[in-house]
Amino acid sequence: MKNRTIARYEGTLKVTGQARYEGEMMPEGLLHAALVESPIACGELQSLDTSRAATLSGFATLVTHEDAASLKPSAATALIREKAIHFHGQPVALVAATTLSEAREAAKATQASIAARTALTQMGQALDQAYEPAMVGRFPASTRRGDSAKALSEAGLVVRRRYTTAVNNHHPMEPHAVVCWWEGNKVVVHTCTQAIFATRAIIAHAFEMPPVDIRVLSRYLGGGFGCKGQLWWPWMFWAMLASRKTNRPVRLELTRAQMFILVGRRQETAQDIALGFVDGRLTAIEHDVVAQTSTHAEFSDSTAVYTRFLYACPNVTTRHSLVRTNEPQPVPMRAPGTAPGTFALESAMDEAAELLGVDPLELRLDNFADRDQENGRPWSSNSLRECYRVGAERFGWAERRARSATKVGRWKIGFGMATTLYPAIRQACRARVALRADGSLLVQCGTQDMGSGTYTALGQIAADALGVPMDKITVELGDTELPDGPFSGGSQVTASIFPAVEAATAKLRAALASIATTDATSPLGGKPPEDLEFADGMIRSRSGNAGERLTDVLARAAADGLEAEGESPATDHQKLAATGMGYGAIFVEIGVDPELGEIRVRRVCGAFAAGHILNPLLAKSQYIGGLIGGIGMALHEQTATDAATGSILGKSFTDYLIPVHADMPAFDIAMIDEDDPHLPGGVKGIGMLGTAGIQAAIANAVYDAIGKRIRKLPIRIEDCL
Amino acid sequence: MSSASFNYIRAAELTDALARGERAGAAYLAGGTDLLPLWKASLTAPQEVIDISHLPLATITRSGDALTIGATARLSDIAAHPEVKAHYPLVCDGILASASGQVRNVATMGGNLLQRTRCPYFRDAGLACNKRDPGSGCGTRHGENRHAVLFGGSPGCVATHPSDLAVALAALDARIVVSSASGERELALSELYPLPGETTAPDSSLRPGEMITVIRMLNAARFANHATYLKIRDRASFEFAVVSVAAALRIADGAIAEARLAAGGVAPLPWRLEKSEAALIGRAPTEHAFAEAGALAIEGARPLEGNAFKIPLLRNAVIRALQTAGGQS
Ligand SMILES: Cc1cc2nc3c(=O)[nH]c(=O)nc-3n(C[C@H](O)[C@H](O)[C@H](O)COP(=O)(O)OP(=O)(O)OC[C@H]3O[C@@H](n4cnc5c(N)ncnc54)[C@H](O)[C@@H]3O)c2cc1C
Ligand code: SF4
Repeated sequence: MKNRTIARYEGTLKVTGQARYEGEMMPEGLLHAALVESPIACGELQSLDTSRAATLSGFATLVTHEDAASLKPSAATALIREKAIHFHGQPVALVAATTLSEAREAAKATQASIAARTALTQMGQALDQAYEPAMVGRFPASTRRGDSAKALSEAGLVVRRRYTTAVNNHHPMEPHAVVCWWEGNKVVVHTCTQAIFATRAIIAHAFEMPPVDIRVLSRYLGGGFGCKGQLWWPWMFWAMLASRKTNRPVRLELTRAQMFILVGRRQETAQDIALGFVDGRLTAIEHDVVAQTSTHAEFSDSTAVYTRFLYACPNVTTRHSLVRTNEPQPVPMRAPGTAPGTFALESAMDEAAELLGVDPLELRLDNFADRDQENGRPWSSNSLRECYRVGAERFGWAERRARSATKVGRWKIGFGMATTLYPAIRQACRARVALRADGSLLVQCGTQDMGSGTYTALGQIAADALGVPMDKITVELGDTELPDGPFSGGSQVTASIFPAVEAATAKLRAALASIATTDATSPLGGKPPEDLEFADGMIRSRSGNAGERLTDVLARAAADGLEAEGESPATDHQKLAATGMGYGAIFVEIGVDPELGEIRVRRVCGAFAAGHILNPLLAKSQYIGGLIGGIGMALHEQTATDAATGSILGKSFTDYLIPVHADMPAFDIAMIDEDDPHLPGGVKGIGMLGTAGIQAAIANAVYDAIGKRIRKLPIRIEDCL
Repeated sequence: MSSASFNYIRAAELTDALARGERAGAAYLAGGTDLLPLWKASLTAPQEVIDISHLPLATITRSGDALTIGATARLSDIAAHPEVKAHYPLVCDGILASASGQVRNVATMGGNLLQRTRCPYFRDAGLACNKRDPGSGCGTRHGENRHAVLFGGSPGCVATHPSDLAVALAALDARIVVSSASGERELALSELYPLPGETTAPDSSLRPGEMITVIRMLNAARFANHATYLKIRDRASFEFAVVSVAAALRIADGAIAEARLAAGGVAPLPWRLEKSEAALIGRAPTEHAFAEAGALAIEGARPLEGNAFKIPLLRNAVIRALQTAGGQS
């Protein structure tokens, strides 16, 4: 497989405004919708007074839990079928009107009367009510290998600390939107989702209709990061019900303020870590996580899961528990689990290195896990040590003692490093490729492009396999009329589509080779099919000086073109011979102004090993984007709940801080190519890797700079004074 | 017409704007960078919006040592003005530390001084706030109050004034001219901002219909050589001040002859640090003198649960600003 830099397939469409996002669909007769929000955080809806709203101009319809009663009960419909109020700002009704401002006006005029109950608005208020969930994602919530309690009691050094991380809010640039309409018994749903097929399936379930009658489209996404999934479904259902009631297309788009409440968040955590060492080797790890979930649904990040894998250690105990609060529901957010989890583990490792008097990098090398100890399997490939080496060299880690603790202007300089990791998994995928008589190629797959480059990757894999130039490729995705593709999440899309597209293109190559080699009039007639290569719109013989254009081959034997489908299975976690994991080592240089408390990241070097890299340009932008998100989590992002009311405070980008251009450090990205015989094409996911590790690296660098150990995120002015 | 709609009037003449401005439900619109977000969030609902940005009020004139800036002058134009840069660098520093280039290109001097507090309880129509809704209570006092005041608060309101420009202007003893249909009056900038009461917290002392037309500084160029605006914030740009300090010194014969210090992010108005100023007079610009001024700056600070860190921060900021200003030549 080739590795090449290709600019975004859809780049021009996007920067020229030709790419139409689903919320931009404006069908004839469209109604606009707005949500009526609960002004309290806990209680039960008694009644809705719509008498004034219904008289306002443009008012078309109101949809409530009563309308939703016709939907089949499920986790996805619970919030809209029931009268219970679980969080401040929870929608209690949807109003549709002719214009958006009329809809908002009518929503404001709708009075909800709610019987209030005492709300529990902060995790800290109920730590004693923590309970253990059954699973954290696809992993068990608690695990135990060896006897960590005993090993800790016998350890030469024990580091026992609590680390906390704040709520981070999902905020893709494109807010959640749906434009939907019914065509008889069929429905068309344009919505931004990371999973068109799961969305179709849940609609089929809720509305009790056959999937073939439902078309879901999500062709461009202005970011997803984990929030364009199930939390959106209830409000999308309401819009669909409004459309059915009025027999008109309905459009609902969340406001930025509603994004703080309705689309999900990275959950708050309090993590207790204990590390035990004997002669610099880990003999025990305990990692206990308490995190927030809502009163209406359960979610736990796999925060302590990666502590089971990262280091060689015979005695490891991990636990997750949850506290229910009347706050918005958490969901996965880029680098779910690994971002908060590595903050705790990799900070604690840094504390241990300090106490042991060894270099933090040495300590990590000394405790490298050369196999997956949790599952007793080898790694499919693991170049973490190479990441450490390359990263340290490019960054200049060896100068750490000399350079850090120096001052540049008002800044005290600090160096820090940490590890990041993420599992390599795949989902089932089908893809279709169609080579047309003119030599152009259509590639179709029902996955989505979150803006991360799926269009480009799909096109590139097919282009390379058939030797068709990129400008002759058309890629279609984000439509349930296409072959079933994977949801966009878990850094697995590229790894999932790769084998399916390879399978489809292999069929086309075989068909083309057979046409050419069995035709005596072809210059390739009689050549062995294995001898052929596909490049530059040609089929060529590798051994002899013979070749023929794809278009000529097609013209003779397949005037309508050729089409093939390929498919590939999901990772079978039960039958794995080896554990696939991507790794990275993050090195940062920061400046702290100890009198004024300000922290700025000056330099970041990330060295990543994540299998075979298809397109270094896309990969680099994924890594940098991930690191920026990680800087935000480390230094800026924090969603605060008002304890008295349960209301989220500061629901705008003026208040919710994310890094801006002036915060950008110099980025140096190193990619270590791996040959991984266990994974199809050797492809691992890359999207999550940049977003973890950097938080601990920054905290460790703050310690290096000013000798203050900060065990909470975000790290703010008050922490560094 | 929905309740959120308003009549938009683009005023061509000052007298017309002032006459309209007196009517109930009227609001002046300058750059609109604060008024429109407030309106969109249902925090204000004017019936008539009078756009004053086309009035011929955007002039800058310097005569002798006095600088006169029209209220509708854009922030970026003032910050880039050669005379302002040369003689009133503190004003440029204050402006350039504010918002973003895009905002500064439309925001005006007058609008900046009258922007409303960033208190998150104030900016959310669903929460209790005496400033927005007198008598409804103050969500901040016992809620999230990292952003709240150290000085000048009341049980009724503990919100800070968000303007950076106002802090710089306060240090330079700026005055403003206010016009209405019935005439003109002039006041010190500090008189523009009243302290909050028990259950009310008006933003300004302007009477209905009054418009800021002119901002004036007399004799402030004497600080040009030793002035700085220091703004401390969680990220490098595009954030309101957590704490800020405007420092201006006149140094003659190796001693501080005059000192002006104002702090932002700590009070309902730009907070002049008069004790610190007084302690500097006649002293050499030394670390020792600056440290003393820093210590005096925080006298009388009354923190809430979440903002006590601003006390050492303010002290250190005063010292740092003085080091910067005092070290210039
Ligand atoms: C994202 C963001 C970040 C920001 N960051 C900062 C920052 O870091 N520092 C900072 O100082 N500011 C900051 N600001 C605020 C910005 O500087 C102000 O919004 C702007 O200066 C207001 O000026 P304007 O002309 O747009 O006022 P408008 O929005 O037009 O008016 C504001 C108010 O003043 C009234 N008004 C306007 N002109 C007059 C007049 N001449 N006489 C009487 N009343 C008048 C209006 O009726 C309105 O009530 C930020 C704003 C935004 C949106
Ligand atoms: S501090 Fe002032 S502005 Fe903020 S909530 Fe209290 S009264 Fe309102």
